[in-house]
Amino acid sequence: MTPAEENAAREQAFRRLLRERFGVEGEADAPLPDDGVVVDRAHHVDLAKALHKAGWQLYVTCAATHFPAVPGKKPTDATTPECFEVATVLRTVGPGSHTARWRVKLAVGESLPTLVPVFVGADWQEREQFDLVGVHFEGHPDLRRLMMPEDWEGHPLRRDYAIDTPHAPWR
Amino acid sequence: MTAIARARAPRPDPFLDIDSYDPEADLMVMNLGPQHPSTHGVFRVLLYLDGEIIIKAVPYPGYLHRGVEKLCEKLTYAQITPIVDKNDYVAPMLNEQAVNMAFEKMLGVEVPPRALHMRTLLAEIQRVASHLLWLGTFAMDLGGALGGGTSVFMYCFREREAILDLFEKLTGCRFHYNTHTVGGQRHDIPAGWAAEVHRVLGAISDRIDEYEAMLSHPIFLKRTKGVGVIDAQLALELGLTGPLLRASGVDHDLRRDAPYHIYDQIKDLKVAVESDGDCLARYKVRVVELRESIRISRLLVDNVPEGPICGGRPIKQPGQFKAKAGQVYVGIETPRGELGTYLIAGGGKMGDTPYRLKIRPPSLHALAVVPYVFPGHSVSDAVAILGSLDPIMGEVDR
Repeated sequence: MTPAEENAAREQAFRRLLRERFGVEGEADAPLPDDGVVVDRAHHVDLAKALHKAGWQLYVTCAATHFPAVPGKKPTDATTPECFEVATVLRTVGPGSHTARWRVKLAVGESLPTLVPVFVGADWQEREQFDLVGVHFEGHPDLRRLMMPEDWEGHPLRRDYAIDTPHAPWR
Repeated sequence: MTAIARARAPRPDPFLDIDSYDPEADLMVMNLGPQHPSTHGVFRVLLYLDGEIIIKAVPYPGYLHRGVEKLCEKLTYAQITPIVDKNDYVAPMLNEQAVNMAFEKMLGVEVPPRALHMRTLLAEIQRVASHLLWLGTFAMDLGGALGGGTSVFMYCFREREAILDLFEKLTGCRFHYNTHTVGGQRHDIPAGWAAEVHRVLGAISDRIDEYEAMLSHPIFLKRTKGVGVIDAQLALELGLTGPLLRASGVDHDLRRDAPYHIYDQIKDLKVAVESDGDCLARYKVRVVELRESIRISRLLVDNVPEGPICGGRPIKQPGQFKAKAGQVYVGIETPRGELGTYLIAGGGKMGDTPYRLKIRPPSLHALAVVPYVFPGHSVSDAVAILGSLDPIMGEVDR
């Protein structure tokens, strides 16, 4: 197989896996949305395990994002509640390398099961997202701040954390 | 099980509490860093030592955290390039390319062929400069026995200086170039630059043989062979990329496996793979890459296509690019591995700045290997291992 064919075959395998086992809507071979597929929180770890087994062996990254509450356009419109999103990226190695990425939506106070038992590289990435965005990873063996000082208050990468928030004096 | 035996297990458990190792052992706690020359910046590792042997290592990054990702949320797409230059300050060209490729994908901006060709060329010349700096500092980390201590370091810095002069002629800057932009390049190749590139890279190419001869030294081999072995499985799970992954026997290079720019036109790209996974293997991989990058650069500099260097409208206002809501991920191969950019665009009123920009630095994943490879080695080996990982704290902490 040429690298391009290898990549296309991986993409197809990824789509089928998502739709047949992880409850993603759509025809088995229809293309996935450009901005990444949304997976239910309950499937997060199982999907990572299935992909790891199927050849997506390289842990690339995870990115958590904060979406603050958005008031409706008119006073009568409902407010979109505050929520979080965690995107995970995995990759196959070798020619035709394919990236698999998916997102999980979390309500305020909801935590995401950790990927550390599947990929040890998730350790520092999840610590960083916990530190900067404030998403809690359930079952993480060592969830401490990674970048900010231990006694820092707040999570700087939240959208409602002002860029000029005063911080405690350096010791 | 004694503490040392536990530390020498194939894969030490970094989450194990130090009290459960061996209550009888007389352990010493030592800080390596944050201000230590071998940490290549400000990086602190807490070492638990039994005599000279490391039992457990707990790394503490974050001393150089500047909040680059937060800052990028406040800047427009055209303003971000000079900020990300400061992430990996040893290879800024690649940082600029990574974010701009993500912006171009999100905004749907076409890049003209001349700009793509120049990007490939600049990336390869930058890779030579970056690997030369690594070679020099690694030889210095290993200490005075190698050609009088700082000799290799000084020689490598001399060659890198010539490459910085090349970049200065092109962009006017020696380190933080700000030469890439959304849609192409800002500075065109000046007259006579190609001949300069041939002269500089030709000279470096000859001298690499001499450095290799200097480092084919019994002490160098003793300090690197079998030291800091990372097996392929651990490397993949940790997300190690670039020379570290290839030194562990995984044949993976994004330039060949997920081609971008014009890498798909370079048919005979040689990817160096070593199977040992130790410091010596990482050295060998980087030296082969050094030669390969010189070869590709000299190949590319001769046939840069004519045409515009920037596609789309010229940038006149900082906020002229408006993105629709969406998410993209772009990964490129830097001298240290996969530099990824995960971009979330807000759309609507927030269309001119990124909603969230997550940078995936290869060095952060490289340092995550420290708790797995340090235990069982002596403190002097720890310095050699850290040097062979080639971490740049600017991009680790961002």
